[in-house]
Amino acid sequence: MIDFELGDELELVRKTARDYADDHLRPGMRENESARSLGAKAWELFGEIGFACLEWPERGEAGGLGALAHSLVLEELAAADPGAALALEPLGAALYPLLEFGGEEAVLRYGEPLLTSPGARSVLVWVGAGGRASLADQGKRVSGSVPWIPADRVDSLILLDETRARVVRGGLEFRRVRGSGLRAAGASEVIFEGAEVVAEWEGEDEARRALARARLHTASLMLGVMREACDYSRNYALDRVAFGRPIAHHQALAFLIADMATALESARLLAWEAAWRLDTGLRADEACATAFLEAAEQTAFIGPNGVQILGGHGFMQDHPVEKFMREGRSLSLLLGGVDTARECAMRELAGTAGDVLLPLGDLS
Amino acid sequence: MNLFIDDETRARLEGIRALGASEIRPLGLEADRLGRPTPPEHPFFERLVKGGQGRTRWSGAPEASAPGERRSKVGSSRSTLCLAEEMAYWDRGVAVSFPGPGLGEPPLISMGTEDQKQRFLAPFIEPDRPRWGSFAMTEPGAGSDVAGIQASAQKEGGNWILNGAKSFAANASRADWIVVWATVDSSLGREGHRAFVVEKGTPGLEDFQVERKMGLKAYESTSFRLNDCRVPAANLIGGEEHYARKAGFKGAMRSFNATRPLVAIMAVGIGRAALDATTDFARENDLLCDIRVRDRLERARRKLRSARLLCWRAAWLADYGRPNILEASMSKAAAPTAALEAASLGMEVIGTVGGRGDHLIEKLFRDVKAMDIVEGTGQVQRLVMARQLVQFPRN
Repeated sequence: MIDFELGDELELVRKTARDYADDHLRPGMRENESARSLGAKAWELFGEIGFACLEWPERGEAGGLGALAHSLVLEELAAADPGAALALEPLGAALYPLLEFGGEEAVLRYGEPLLTSPGARSVLVWVGAGGRASLADQGKRVSGSVPWIPADRVDSLILLDETRARVVRGGLEFRRVRGSGLRAAGASEVIFEGAEVVAEWEGEDEARRALARARLHTASLMLGVMREACDYSRNYALDRVAFGRPIAHHQALAFLIADMATALESARLLAWEAAWRLDTGLRADEACATAFLEAAEQTAFIGPNGVQILGGHGFMQDHPVEKFMREGRSLSLLLGGVDTARECAMRELAGTAGDVLLPLGDLS
Repeated sequence: MNLFIDDETRARLEGIRALGASEIRPLGLEADRLGRPTPPEHPFFERLVKGGQGRTRWSGAPEASAPGERRSKVGSSRSTLCLAEEMAYWDRGVAVSFPGPGLGEPPLISMGTEDQKQRFLAPFIEPDRPRWGSFAMTEPGAGSDVAGIQASAQKEGGNWILNGAKSFAANASRADWIVVWATVDSSLGREGHRAFVVEKGTPGLEDFQVERKMGLKAYESTSFRLNDCRVPAANLIGGEEHYARKAGFKGAMRSFNATRPLVAIMAVGIGRAALDATTDFARENDLLCDIRVRDRLERARRKLRSARLLCWRAAWLADYGRPNILEASMSKAAAPTAALEAASLGMEVIGTVGGRGDHLIEKLFRDVKAMDIVEGTGQVQRLVMARQLVQFPRN
C-alpha cells in the first residue's frame, strides 16, 4: 500500500549527503563560484564516501543504489551548491546513456579512469530537439557548436539525441563563457571542429530511457535549489522587521511562504514518484519528464520569490538568493528544456482513451 | 517508498467504478438538470442500503480501548482516500447524498457516551431503510471563524434550550438527527461550544430551507432555525463532564488531521473527471495535435498528479499518527486549485459547447468550486501553514 517511508538505509544516505554538503560545499559556495572549481578536499571526500559512483552498477563497497537514493543525494548537494554537485560527479547524467546503451562495460570503460583524477568529468550534452546545438555530421566526425555546457574541463563528451548516443573526443574546443549560473562546475561554449566519434550506439528506447533518467537527475538538483531558497528566505522573513513585526507575519508574505513550501513539496513528490518507478521497473519516461517540468516551473516560482522576500538585499550578492534564482533557471534549460519535456510528458495521451490519470491503470 | 494501491482497495475501486458509471454519474447529471437534490425516497438509496451502504463504522460494542488499536487501523486513511477520489470522480454531489450517519458520526464516536452511541448510531448498524445523520456548525455569520458561532444553548432543568440559525448542513432535512453546535457563552469562543443531537421532529427545529446552489446539486445543503428548541440533557454529546474534562486540555491541539486530505482528494477526483472528459473531447475533435491544447492538458494533469501525491502523503502521515498539519493543509490548498484549473481548461477546450450549460465539463466546473471552500478555505489553509512555517500569530 501507498507508503512514503524512505527506510533506514536511504535516511542514512540522505544524512551523509547533508552533512557532507554542510561541511564541505556550502561554506565555500561563493569562492567556488568565482574559482569555477572546488577545493581538492571536497573531491577527495566525495569519492571516499562512495558518492562518485552511487548509481553505477555495484562495484565492491560502492554503487548499486537506485534512482531514489541518488535523487536524495543530489537534492542535498544542490541545496548547498548545484554547480558543485555537477562538478563532483565524474559521470553525472552521462551515466545514463552509457548504462542504457552500453551497459556496465561502457560505464566502467568511460567512468573508471575518471575516478582517480579529481575534477575529471564526462559530460552529457543533449543535442536533440530543444538543445540549441548546431551540429553537422561528416561520417564519423562532427562539426558545429553547443552554446553552453556547465563545465570547463571535459574528459569525454557524450552526445545524446532522440535515437542515438555518441562519445566524441578530440577536435573540441571549450571556450569559456561567463555562465548564468552553476559556475562552480565551469561554463563553456563547445566548438566541434571535426570532432571524432569514438563510440556510437543507436536505439530509440535506450535514448528515451537515458533522457528520462537524466531529467530526473536535473530535477533532483532543482529540488535542492528550491529547498534552500525556501529556507533562506523564510528565515530572513522571520528576522527582518517592517511595520512593527517580522515581515513573515504580514499575511501577503506568510501566504507566499506557504505557497513556496507547497510548490517545493509538489515538485519533490513528483520526483520521488519518478524515482520509485525507475527503481520498481515501471515505465518512467513520462513520469521523469513530468518531474522535470514541475521542478522547472516551481523553481521559476520559488527562485524569484526568494529574491523578492529579501527585497533590495535579495538583489545583492551578499545573500545567496540571487544565486538560487539564476541557478534554478539554468538547470531547467538543460536536456532540451521544458518544451521538449512537455512533448514527452504528453506523448502517451494521444493514444490512450480516457482515464488519463486513473490510479488503477496509472500505476501498474 | 511504495505507490502501489493494495489489492483489497483496488477491488473496491472497481466496485465503485461499476456503480459510478451505471448509477452515480447519471444520477448526478439528473439532479443537476432538474436543479434539485435526489429525493430521499429515490429507489437508488434503497438499493444502496440493501447493498450494505449507509452503515455506521461504530461496531455496536463498547469501545475496547486496546492500545494497539491505532495500529490496526493503519492503511485506513490511504484506502479511504483512494475510494473517495473514485466516488468524486463519478459524482461528488451524489457521494455526499449517500445515506449514513455522515459528519455527525465522528463526534458521536469520539465524544459520545455509550448510551448516545446506542441511541443514535445503533439504527445505522443494520439500517432497515435509508437513514441519514447530519451535522450543523456553520451559521450565516460564522463560517471559517468557527469560534464566532452565535447559536445559543441554555440549561433549563433537565433540558437545553437552543436558539439560532444554521446554514449549509448536508442532508439536514431528511436526517433522523442533526449534531448541532451551539455556545453556552459566546465570549468564551471555542471553549463555550457544546454539541447536541437534535432529533427530527423536535419542536423548535424548523424553517428547513434547501439552498439553491451553483453546483453539487445532488445533495441537499440545508439551512434551518432553532426557536426555543428544547433538547433533553441526555442529548448533550459526551455529557457535561466531557466539556469540563476538555477544558483541562486547553491548547492541546491535535497534531494530525485526516479530513483535509480526504476532502482535498475529492477535488482531485472531480478534476480527473474534467480532465478525462476534456481529453476525450479533444481527441474526438482532433484537438490533440494542437500544441497549445496539449501543453495545457499536460499542466492540468501534472497539477492533479502532484495534488494527489500531497493528499496521499498527508494521509500516510495521519495513518501513523505522525504530525501532518502542514502537509494536510498543503494538500487542501493545492488540490481544489488544480481541479478548478482542469475544469476551467475543459471549458476553454470545449468552447461554446460549454456555454450551452448541459455538458458534463460545465457541471464539473461549477461543482468543483465548492472544494476550495469546504473544510477550510484555501486562505484558511494558508493561515494554518503559516502558523507551522513562520509561527504566524493567531490574532
